[in-house]
Amino acid sequence: MEAYVGYFLYFLSLLTVGGIYAIFALGLNVQWGFAGLFNVGIVGFAAVGAYTYALLTTAGSTFHLGGFGLPLPFGMFMGMALSGVIAGLIGLICIRLRSDYLAIATIGIAEIIKLILKNETDITNGPRGINKIPRAWEHFSETRFYTDWPMSWFGTPENWEAFFDSLPNWYWQPLFAATIILSMYVIYRMLERARTSPWGRMMTAIRENEPAARAAGKDVTRRRIEAFVIGASIMGLAGALFAQHLRLIEPTNTFDPSKVTFLVWVMLITGGSGNNRGAILGAFLIWTIWSASELVISGGIELVENIFSTLDPSILQTRAGFLRMMLIGILMQVILQRYPGGILPEVRPASPKAENDTREPTGETK
Amino acid sequence: MKNVLMATAATLLATTAMAEVNIGNPMAMTGPIPDLNAPIAQAVDLAATHINDQGGMFEAGEAFNIIRADSACDPVAAVDAVTKLINVNGVAAIVGPVCSGAAIAQAESVSIPAGVVTLSVSASSPAITSMEDGTDLVFRAAASDAYQGVALAELAMANGMMDIAVSYANDDYNAAIAEVFVKAYQGMGGTVTANEAHEPNKASYRSEVATIGATSENLALFSYYGSGGITLMRNALETGAFMNFIGADGMLSDELIEQIGAENLMTSTFTTSASDSSTPSFAAWAELADAAGVPASDPFVANGYDATFMMALAIEHAGSADREAIAESLRAIASGPGVMILPGQWAEAKVLLAAGFNINYEGAAGNQDFDENGDVAGNFSKSTIVDGAWAAELIQ
Repeated sequence: MEAYVGYFLYFLSLLTVGGIYAIFALGLNVQWGFAGLFNVGIVGFAAVGAYTYALLTTAGSTFHLGGFGLPLPFGMFMGMALSGVIAGLIGLICIRLRSDYLAIATIGIAEIIKLILKNETDITNGPRGINKIPRAWEHFSETRFYTDWPMSWFGTPENWEAFFDSLPNWYWQPLFAATIILSMYVIYRMLERARTSPWGRMMTAIRENEPAARAAGKDVTRRRIEAFVIGASIMGLAGALFAQHLRLIEPTNTFDPSKVTFLVWVMLITGGSGNNRGAILGAFLIWTIWSASELVISGGIELVENIFSTLDPSILQTRAGFLRMMLIGILMQVILQRYPGGILPEVRPASPKAENDTREPTGETK
Repeated sequence: MKNVLMATAATLLATTAMAEVNIGNPMAMTGPIPDLNAPIAQAVDLAATHINDQGGMFEAGEAFNIIRADSACDPVAAVDAVTKLINVNGVAAIVGPVCSGAAIAQAESVSIPAGVVTLSVSASSPAITSMEDGTDLVFRAAASDAYQGVALAELAMANGMMDIAVSYANDDYNAAIAEVFVKAYQGMGGTVTANEAHEPNKASYRSEVATIGATSENLALFSYYGSGGITLMRNALETGAFMNFIGADGMLSDELIEQIGAENLMTSTFTTSASDSSTPSFAAWAELADAAGVPASDPFVANGYDATFMMALAIEHAGSADREAIAESLRAIASGPGVMILPGQWAEAKVLLAAGFNINYEGAAGNQDFDENGDVAGNFSKSTIVDGAWAAELIQ
């Protein structure tokens, strides 16, 4: 029985992390998939969201500024807002740059953000980072919550205590995973609505043929800044959730571009850029491969040991980590070769006019 | 038919769970320090071999298994790896993460909420001391940097350095130890003339050296030799900015002698967490390690052996691989009073525990008595150049 609980909890952790990456990928999809903005500075916006959340919600500490101990939803909202504001300022300056130049600018900005976080030791505790970051749902079993409103309206402290004692110690885990999946779903619905709206079609027009869109009287610059800001705030939210999941953030290893920027790009391209479902599918798929491959490979090594009993197993074990990275690389190559447009390629919504002309509910056309 | 299959599967699961004790071992197999990590992993495996060769776990002689995972010195990878170890592999405890950031993240995010004990092999960050709120689940077999920073400050004062410039690599390890050093050194009456961070892995550190060079003849350098420390030291020597160098274990390597030359290092002293080689524990460990081809004196290798051995002793003491009892047992077997157990003496310890005696494990890396925060006090040595090679001398 306990084993099944363990598998269930691992499944939940896959949902949790996969969901966080899916939110990142949705944010990138607004920027790249909708508007064609080549943002290679995802890690910068993730760090802004994560650090804002951490500083605002962590309990007071001597290591860094604050912690202000503010409510968690407020911290997440501020993470989103600040990330959006920073993206807006960057957008005003850089958005006119053509795609590859924008890429260089965003790499630079992400590095600047990381260096600020690393060197403003009084605020961020520098390279040692912030720990004890509160995670949603996990703290409700603490006395300070159930003796106070609104929880005290529903039961006496004794009742709450008995209630939490009756729960397993992982009670928060399904709730945390559900919160992330719900946030992801809400963002997905909003972006689907945006995609099929006139705004979404205008984005496609700007991405595909900017001079034509400009000639048709569209405010191209403003629309591009909009997409950049919306995408960045979604990344800020994902960063705040990332901080909750890890409970310790530091600028060097946590916000390593190869593990955030690169991985999110791979997820979006694999899933299908321009397609919100593709972004979500890609995120869950790549993360599951990334995480579960360790179990598969250690199982494989055990098998090899049993078959070739003369082989020294330690040789394989010390190389397992590198073997895993290589296999993931090969797998990504195969997926990209097999599905050049992503597993779920972009589907353009038909304009209402086109539907009227053909007089049949074609739904969506290529 | 289905029921029969289910029942068989359940029995199989139950029997495999009964017959073995599994310990999770997230190590930095990939990431920035695989070379430092490899001998530590060997030491962990060596401890498991000794335990299994000398009768295994409990009366039934169950196998003591190390399940290794890759924490890559990175919070994201460590959280993921430990989630799998605890939930999928169902390990009884974690002997593990090499890096402090990875150790803190996995403990706060996964192992403390799950009620699993972590015994870190080499996480030395001072933040680990104060990270728990009311639980007793995180231990470490290596001394906190807080101790080494103080030891280094004492050494600087003993060498007659009344003022010093500090340059540290801007990473979690070096920034932490530099902070402790500066505080301790100032507390002893020394003057810190400059205290600047430098970014690792730069091609040249001339501007950094020039900025702090005029302020003092002495430089306290906290850096990794592999990621800029050697370059900075070379720049400092070329420009003649500093005469005397001190530093911590990140700089201590033979690479430094090859690159800079022993004759230029005559005024340099580096501390490192060390084992007191005069103790019987270390002698016992050195013999075992030599027999197995494990480098006994490399950084944190002895700590890796101690951590694994103590975890096995704690589980044996608790009498079962239940997660709840391990923390208390870990304290019981590590500290006195009790019969002294040396590295490798598994059969003896097993007999004593079965007969109900108290035992006190004296580790290869130190006495391994945990304080109330689960920290141990360590020994440190200072290394200077003697006849063109590093010679270590115990200082604490």
